[in-house]
This record gives sequence, C-alpha cells and structure tokens, in this order.
Amino acid sequence: MKGGIAVLGLVDITKSYKLGTLNIEVLRGISLEVAKGDLLSIMGPSGSGKSTLMYIIGLLGRPTTGSYFLNGHDVRSMNDRELSAYRNANIGFVFQSFHLLGHLTALENVAVPLAYRGVGRGEARRRARAILEKVGMGERTGHKPGQLSGGQKQRVAIARALVGQPSVLLADEPTGALDTNTADEVMRLMIQLNQEEQITTVIITHDPSVARRCARQVRISDGLLHDVARPQDGGS
Amino acid sequence: MRQLSTLLAANLREALRSLYGARLRTLLGLIGIMIGVASVIAMISTGEIATAQSRKQFEALGTDLLVVRKSDDLMTAAARRRGVAIGLDDALEVAAALPSVAAAAPRIQLRGGVVYRSKRVDSGAIQGVAASFAGVNKLQVAEGRFVSDLDVDRHYCTVGADIANAMRRRGAEAVVGEFLEIDRRLFTVVGALESMRENYALPFQLAANESVFVPITTAHRISPSDEIGLIAARVQAGVHYTVAVRDVQTYFRQRTPGLEVEVTSAEQLIEQMESQLGLMTLLLGAVGSISLIVGGIGIMNIMLISVAERREEIGIRRALGASRGDIQRQFLIEATILTLGGGTAGLVFGMGATYAICQYTEWDFFISPVSVIAGIGVSTVIGVFFGFQPAYQAARLDPIAALQG
Repeated sequence: MKGGIAVLGLVDITKSYKLGTLNIEVLRGISLEVAKGDLLSIMGPSGSGKSTLMYIIGLLGRPTTGSYFLNGHDVRSMNDRELSAYRNANIGFVFQSFHLLGHLTALENVAVPLAYRGVGRGEARRRARAILEKVGMGERTGHKPGQLSGGQKQRVAIARALVGQPSVLLADEPTGALDTNTADEVMRLMIQLNQEEQITTVIITHDPSVARRCARQVRISDGLLHDVARPQDGGS
Repeated sequence: MRQLSTLLAANLREALRSLYGARLRTLLGLIGIMIGVASVIAMISTGEIATAQSRKQFEALGTDLLVVRKSDDLMTAAARRRGVAIGLDDALEVAAALPSVAAAAPRIQLRGGVVYRSKRVDSGAIQGVAASFAGVNKLQVAEGRFVSDLDVDRHYCTVGADIANAMRRRGAEAVVGEFLEIDRRLFTVVGALESMRENYALPFQLAANESVFVPITTAHRISPSDEIGLIAARVQAGVHYTVAVRDVQTYFRQRTPGLEVEVTSAEQLIEQMESQLGLMTLLLGAVGSISLIVGGIGIMNIMLISVAERREEIGIRRALGASRGDIQRQFLIEATILTLGGGTAGLVFGMGATYAICQYTEWDFFISPVSVIAGIGVSTVIGVFFGFQPAYQAARLDPIAALQG
C-alpha cells in the first residue's frame, strides 16, 4: 500500500455454493485493502477462488458473508440497478479473452459504458476516440474486433475499461491469450497508465512473471489470501 | 446522470444493429408476424365489406319497408277454422288509419294464365294490387301508367317488362292499348314497367318483370276466395319500426277479431343479417388471430435463440454497467421492432389482399379501421408479450457464467 485512502476494502469475505447437500466454500474469509494508485496482483492457481474474488470485487457477484466497501460505500445494500450504475462508474474490466462486441467497431465498443450512464452519442464518441489514442489505437477506431490482432484487441479493451474513469481497473489474466512480446507490451501499457495516471489497478493472474511486475502482490490459495513479500528477484 | 432518452436511443440503435446482424432470422420473424397481421386485416375487412355490401342491397329496397302477412302460427285454432283473413278494406285503410305507417300496398295473387293473341305468355303471374304498390316497391313505369285506385273493378292492367317484350315479339307495336286475356277475361293494357332486378334481400318475391298487375278490387271481384297474401308498407319517416310493427298488429287485431299478423321489417332483417355477418367477421378475425399468435410464437422462438446466442454479449454489457432492466429493455425493444415492422408490412399486404378480393367479387373496397387498430395493436402486444419471456431470461442470466462462456 502506498498509504493513500482505501479505494477497495474487503472485510472477511466468504463465498460458498450449495451443490446438492454439499456446501462448497470458495472463499473462506478474505480481507484486503487497495489504496488509490495501487498496482496489485492477485496470484493463484486455477480453482483457488481468484476468479470468484474478482467478480465480487467487480460487483458482478455478491459475497455470502463479509463486508465490501468501494470508495467508502458499503455495496452490499445496493439493489441491482444501483449496483449496475456503481459498477459502471467505478469498475473497468479487462478480460483474458477481450470480450469485445464483435458487431461494433473499436470506437463503438469503447463508447458502450458511456451509453449506460446516459452520455450522448457525440460526446461518447469524442471521449472514446481520445482514450483510444492514449492506448495507441487512434489509427484503428473504425476497425471491428475481427480485424484486429490480439494485442490490439486488448488495447481496445483497456480503453473501454478506462473511458468512464473508473476507480479500479480490474484485469483478469490480461495477457493470458497473448504471445510473449504482445503480453509484455500490454503489461507495459498498464504499468505506464498506473504510474502516469495513478489508475488503481488489480491484476488477477496465475502467471508469476505477470505478478512480479506489480508493485504489490498477494497470493490466493484454497480460498484464503496470503501476503507476499517484496519480490526477491526484483523482476519489474 | 443517466438520461432515459439517450439510453433509449442507444437501445434502439443497438436493437436495429443486432436485428440487421441476424438478417435471415429477422426476415423469418417479420414474415411470421406479417402473415398474421395481413390475415387479420384481410379477414376482418372482408367480413365488414361483405356486411356493407349486404346492407347496401337492403338499403336499395329501403330500410323503412314493412311486410305484413297473416300469421296462422299466432292465431288460435278456432280462428283458423273460422277462416279469419285480412279484409280488403282494412288493408287499403292501414296507412290512413295509422300515423306510423306512411304507405301500405296490399297484394292478392291470382291463379290462372295470361294469354296474348290466343297464345299463353310464359311465366305470366297475376298480381292484384293497389296503386300505392308501385311507390312502395319502387316500380318504374316505362310507358303508359300504373293501375290506379280509380280503376275500381275495371279490367285494366299494367304489364312487367318481360310480358311487354313477349307481346312485342308477337307483333304488338305499342303495348299500351293492347288486350290481354287474364283468367279468361279480357283486360286492356294501360302501362308497362321498366325492367327491374329482383332484390333477393326482399322478404317476398316481387317478380315485377314476369307479372301482370291488375287493380286489387278487380282481382277481389274475380276471385273472392283469394286472400290478401301480403301488404307491403313503408314506415313513416322518423318513426322507429318497432312502433309501426306494434301499431299494425294492434290495428288488424281490432279490425278482425282473432286475426294475427306477422310483420317483417327490413330494419329487423338488416339487424339479423348484420349480427350474422358480424359473427362471421368475428370468426374470420379469430382465424386470422391464430396465425398472429403463431407469428408471435415465432418471434418468441427467434428471441430465445437470440438470447442463447448472445450470452457473451449480455455478460459483457452487464460487466460494463448494464442493469437487468437495461438488458430486458434491449431485448424487448428488439422484439417490439420485429413485430411492429412485421405489423406494418402485414398492414400493406392485408390491404392488398382485401383489395384483390374486392376486385374479384366486385365489392366496394374499404379498409376497416378496427382491423388496422387490431392488427397493429395486437402485433405490438404480441411482441411485448412473447418478447417478455426471452428478455426476462436474458436479464436473469448470471453475468459471471455468461462471461466464462
């Protein structure tokens, strides 16, 4: 933590599913604080509960017990409409498989979050174009995802995540579908945005080489979080 | 702040784009609804046009027409045995006695043949009528005059167009002044009628073209045993037909103890006809509605497939801040656009089909506003109704599962 105010605050979060008579505990008491401007990685093997944790942080899933404060607001009491608006305002998702809408151009894809908060079409396109330029995609605003490379798609996805100026950029294996060079470029872009624009970033990954490049790292296994000491090999 | 109008505009754009994206499916859905709406509009309109056409036929003979007949069914057995009948004088005085009746024309049908220049005229029917019969039944005189009430007991007659033609074929230069042998008595022809189409809506057979009309008094004198078969009458303007019907029945009851008459009014016949045709229109509409419902189920099917195919999109939109309501609205708008589009196309096709039917049957073409409202209204309702379940399903989709594919 850099000692700033907490953007995210998770207190003793648990998540369990009922599978017939079986009660499966995926998260078993997770507490975590993320401050403004943090670059945090949550690393864990598949099945560790890291995806479940990401969806709870991203306001798409609700915890079974525990408290979650986002920008100081307790999000548990919000209904779907409030939660959706809050998600729209505060969370920017980046996914492993990009999840761009195939029938829309890069520009239109980036403008989608703004439509859900009632920004007019012209204004939304203007802002989308500006952020696409920032991630180096200014030349390809009219391309559809099918006409873009993996790295380009992820740049568009990052632009879409950031266009609404969210509190947190939440990336789920952002380099998982990319080759080494492209993955490196995308990581550099995210680190650069974090350092230059103070964008709070949480990266969920199973890849130690990605995790190592983050200033702060935690590890998740069997539904519990473990702090990781500063990287021993200094690999950023 | 989220402005609903901006969001709706965005939703609308999105809906059109995704409908365009799945062109073939959209087209099939449109066709389904189009056929439904077209059949509702064509069926209801055709039903209403048929009704209007029948009404026109009735109106040609006048909605104020009344037909009075002796009713054996309403009379007691004793009265029937006594041979109670409508009296000639009573029949001639109906209009004068009742303010609710504008005109009345009794008719006696005589048996026997019509002979001209020693040869029988085919299908010559003999009708003993009052002078008012021509006016009440809208008979047009072509030459000469119609038999008059002043012709009391005289052997004068007016002939129908077919009889006049038959006489001309046998060498008559002017029909008026010729002699006809009716029931072995010689009659002077005083006039001939214009040819007239038989109106089958009429509750009795007029057969004006094939008939020879003689003064009713003459007919009664020739054949005292022949009863007055019917009285054709007209209701006074501004009087409801039920009033006239009641008056006529009371009048004959009072004049001849034991006599009961049955009065058929054109208005009543029209009402019966309209309720029957109305039922037919309703049935036609119901048949059309079935195809509309089938079309609606088609829309539902298409929307369900669409939801299943777009799970990822739904998950993405939810992640980007769409609420369940936003997702539901998006799919509902798509379903509504489909049905409204299909409805509009169906409107055009339904009108076209109705026009074609009217061309074929030579009916007057018009489009029933009810059918248009029903077609478009019902298709929109169907869009929302059948679109609701898929939209609800889309809104309830777990975004996490949708994103994980």
